[in-house]
Amino acid sequence: MANVEQSQPESYKITGGKMSQFLLILSIFVIATCGLIYELIAGTLASYLLGDSITQFSTIIGIYLFAMGIGSWFSKYLDGNLLKWFIKIEILVGIVGGCSAPVLFAVFEQVASFRLILYAFVGLTGVLVGLEIPLLMRLLRNNYEFKDLVSNVFTFDYIGGLLASLIFPLLLVPYLGLIRTSLFFGLLNIAVALLLLYRFKEARSFRRSYTAIIVGTILVFIAGLIYAEKIMTYSEGATFQDKVIYSKSTTYQRIVITKNNRELRLFLNGNLQFSSADEYRYHEALIHPAMQNLPQARNVLVLGGGDGLAVRELLKYPQIQTIKLVDLDPGMTSLFQKNEMLAQLNNHSLQSPKVKVINTDAFSWIRNDTTKYQLVIIDFPDPANYSVGKLYSNAFYKEIYRILDENGIAVVQSTSPYIGRRSFWCIDHTLASVGFKTLPYHTYVPSFGEWGYVMVTKNFSWKNEGTLPAGLRYVTNATIKEMMFFPPDMAEEPTEINKLNNQVLVHYFESDWGPYAH
Amino acid sequence: MHTKTTYDRRLFLKGLLGGPAVLLLGTQAACKPADALAHITGSIVGANFKTGHLARNADALPKPSKTIATDVLIVGGGISGLSAKRWLEKEGHRNVLLLEMDDHVGGNSHYGKNEVSAYPWGAHYLPVPDVRNKELLDFLRQAGVITGYSETGLPVYNEYYLCHDPEERLFINGLWQEGIVPEAGVPEQEKEQFRRFSKVVNDYKAAIGTDGKDAFAIPVDHSSADAAYRELDKISFKDYLAREGYTSPYLLWYLEYGCKDDYGANLATTSAWAGLHYFAARKGTAANGNSSTVITWPNGNGFLMDHLKKQVEGSGMLTNQLVFKIAMAGNSTEVTVYDVPRKESYTVTAGKVIMCTPQFVNQHLLGSLAAPAALYKDFRYSPWVIANITINNLPQHRGLPLCWDNVIYGTKSVGYVDANHQDLKMDTRRVLTFYLPLAFDEPDMARKSARDKDHRYWLELIAAELEYAHPGITPFIEHADVWIWGHGMIAPGPGFIWGESRRKAGESIDNKIFFAHTDLSGISIFEEAFNQGIKAARQAMT
Repeated sequence: MANVEQSQPESYKITGGKMSQFLLILSIFVIATCGLIYELIAGTLASYLLGDSITQFSTIIGIYLFAMGIGSWFSKYLDGNLLKWFIKIEILVGIVGGCSAPVLFAVFEQVASFRLILYAFVGLTGVLVGLEIPLLMRLLRNNYEFKDLVSNVFTFDYIGGLLASLIFPLLLVPYLGLIRTSLFFGLLNIAVALLLLYRFKEARSFRRSYTAIIVGTILVFIAGLIYAEKIMTYSEGATFQDKVIYSKSTTYQRIVITKNNRELRLFLNGNLQFSSADEYRYHEALIHPAMQNLPQARNVLVLGGGDGLAVRELLKYPQIQTIKLVDLDPGMTSLFQKNEMLAQLNNHSLQSPKVKVINTDAFSWIRNDTTKYQLVIIDFPDPANYSVGKLYSNAFYKEIYRILDENGIAVVQSTSPYIGRRSFWCIDHTLASVGFKTLPYHTYVPSFGEWGYVMVTKNFSWKNEGTLPAGLRYVTNATIKEMMFFPPDMAEEPTEINKLNNQVLVHYFESDWGPYAH
Repeated sequence: MHTKTTYDRRLFLKGLLGGPAVLLLGTQAACKPADALAHITGSIVGANFKTGHLARNADALPKPSKTIATDVLIVGGGISGLSAKRWLEKEGHRNVLLLEMDDHVGGNSHYGKNEVSAYPWGAHYLPVPDVRNKELLDFLRQAGVITGYSETGLPVYNEYYLCHDPEERLFINGLWQEGIVPEAGVPEQEKEQFRRFSKVVNDYKAAIGTDGKDAFAIPVDHSSADAAYRELDKISFKDYLAREGYTSPYLLWYLEYGCKDDYGANLATTSAWAGLHYFAARKGTAANGNSSTVITWPNGNGFLMDHLKKQVEGSGMLTNQLVFKIAMAGNSTEVTVYDVPRKESYTVTAGKVIMCTPQFVNQHLLGSLAAPAALYKDFRYSPWVIANITINNLPQHRGLPLCWDNVIYGTKSVGYVDANHQDLKMDTRRVLTFYLPLAFDEPDMARKSARDKDHRYWLELIAAELEYAHPGITPFIEHADVWIWGHGMIAPGPGFIWGESRRKAGESIDNKIFFAHTDLSGISIFEEAFNQGIKAARQAMT
């Protein structure tokens, strides 16, 4: 590369006097500030999205510093028009750093190797920043005494570092948010490049082409600043108690994940689906009472439950050979398959070779299914609207009856028998209306409250005996016994049967939960 | 249902990283007033005027080059034609030929299909029928619509086919209310008139004439001859309502909606008897339904039509065959037919002919055998425009979410039906079937002017109505096909149902030519068509 252009003579001095020299020193200040900001953004993002902030910050700082070292080492191979290199790299730092946060947010849900992209960004920024300081010193080598040069450059470098580390947590994250901060500092880098481009007459030959790139980038970044809301909906921060670390609208629903020091929460259309702190209670109660009676279970069907947490519990039984998981939303299942932080929650259950994920509508799918299952787990969202209400209808349960083994068991998540008392018993009665024997039970999940399930069988008599897998945190035979008791405030009450052409359950649910709606 | 406008973050980022050119283009586009409908694809489909009109100029068609013989020839493959063929074959008559002018059978029960849903191009539901209608119940049992009978003998309907909840809503005074009877924002005095009307209708529903027959029945011809009720046919529904002191604008809107929905007509052009029949004749019972229960499918009555077709299509059924001349020839009837794709004509010699074609067509086909022209003048047909609209989102005002039937108060159309309602998939992409009767002009004028309009004209009209109830829907409309039914259905004007013309037009000619069509019932519904076919086939065989 370097031989294309004439090497600058040994005695080369930057033109334009004191003001120009000062401008170059100032640009080091900006680069240092921006560089550290990008590093902090990466660290923060990584701890939002991947958790474990200590590991994230120390690996990112390590990679960043190491990459700066590589940049510094590599700088000796850059020759020719040094000012051109300097400006070129300045622009690149702006582009790479500026789009780092938006790109990282965007790829979070899709890329299995999110970490790799993260470290690539950090490394690239580090290399570029690492190149800049040696280049600058070489540019100014004949303008200053060596001792002054070293002193000036490093003073501004470190002051920039301090400034960045103070304004980042105090001003930038709370007021601008990560994406805007990233774009803003990208703009700052590029503005410096533009300034240098027009300040030095040595830059005349490449001024025009670089200006075009700079202006283009500025326009895109400004657009990014304006639309940052859309990239990551910060307004959601107001709706949710905790920090929103992920949000996405799929064709079917809005998925939001929030995080605080203790737990991670998943919301679908604003409704809490689980909290990582106590979901084990919900999922253990969903699976183990039925499974303890099913040593013969080979084929299991899970409807809903795209988070893979119910499947995690099922995989504790070696006798199960295949688990079909039917969840409408590929956005959910792929998130819980590919994202490391979430896959850790479900113990990588959705990647198990026993598990087959089918993204389709459960009702149409089940009408065409002819497999027999020993266990069917029905873990749909609450019947809050007519589309979901159909999945609690007698017509749907007739299909479940058809595909369930004579000695099989099905379990239906059945909303809260305390708040949604009529809804709960309506589900029980609807299941009974198609010929099932029902066994309603409930348990306490702190983040949900009192929660209900209905276990159903055909001819088989369920008993609270059988072996439970080792290592359960909540369910024991004693817990199960307790779950079966309904105190008077949750006791059975008469309801109609939920049918496709009356959808009474949606009406019950609305009136049961109405007083609790915010 | 929360229908929020969502923004695809990835899409945006593609733009963000795509460079400044995108942005520049964007600003340029924003400066120009854009055509809000430009992205919507679709065309005017169906409505085979051309083949039909060939018959008017029969002399220009080729001379017949061969002759075939059949015991029974059925002309027209709508529901009455299919029903006649079904009955004949059920009774063991094998030598039956059905000829249909269009490239498909099914008539008003025709339907279409795209990757989102099947959708009706006409009739789209069947109320749970009266259990006395045995023939229809048998057919529904064969089609799997009735799955069995309860211990008390009532039919049990397939729950997948009973219209799912939520069934109907009306957009009125800024709210989507449940049900189509206006309630939201209706003043108390007007509600009183609703109650009064409802009582009258319930009395009529239970009323039995001096001859022991129901005052209002389906099929129409099973209704009582008692003059106390038939008198009502002599005046318009509008005059009847004025006479009875109904003044509520909300009630009058609602009753006119009924006339539009069932007859494509308005209060002035519907007889009071027909207007009341809409409310007083549905007497269906079921183990799992009542008289207001309806059965429906994504493809509308296309479901029933397909089952009829399946029973009879084994042999003796041809489409694209234009019958253009009918003449007596000794003991049989000679029917001349033009084979549209082959561009050749042939003659069918038939022992009996069952004309399952509307009377405005028969008038031309029968030539000298036709009744006096004055008789046919009494048969008035409503033109209809039906659009099937594919949408990928449905923004809407507050109130009940999307239902099966969705009516918008005070608009020209009778609303739209969600074709996807009965399929159990959850999808934001849907097909809405939009029904627009052209009930406000003289039918002939309306028909002619409808034919001159282009796709864009209908699209603008439909989009404007939808925008009123669903502000911001236009960008979410992907596709809209429009079908124009020039003679959509018979309109039972004052004096028609119990008048002479209807009776005379249905009389067989020389025990050789028989007639079956809903225009001979005066009411265009599946039950009538089904019955017309059976009645004519029976006559032909006795």
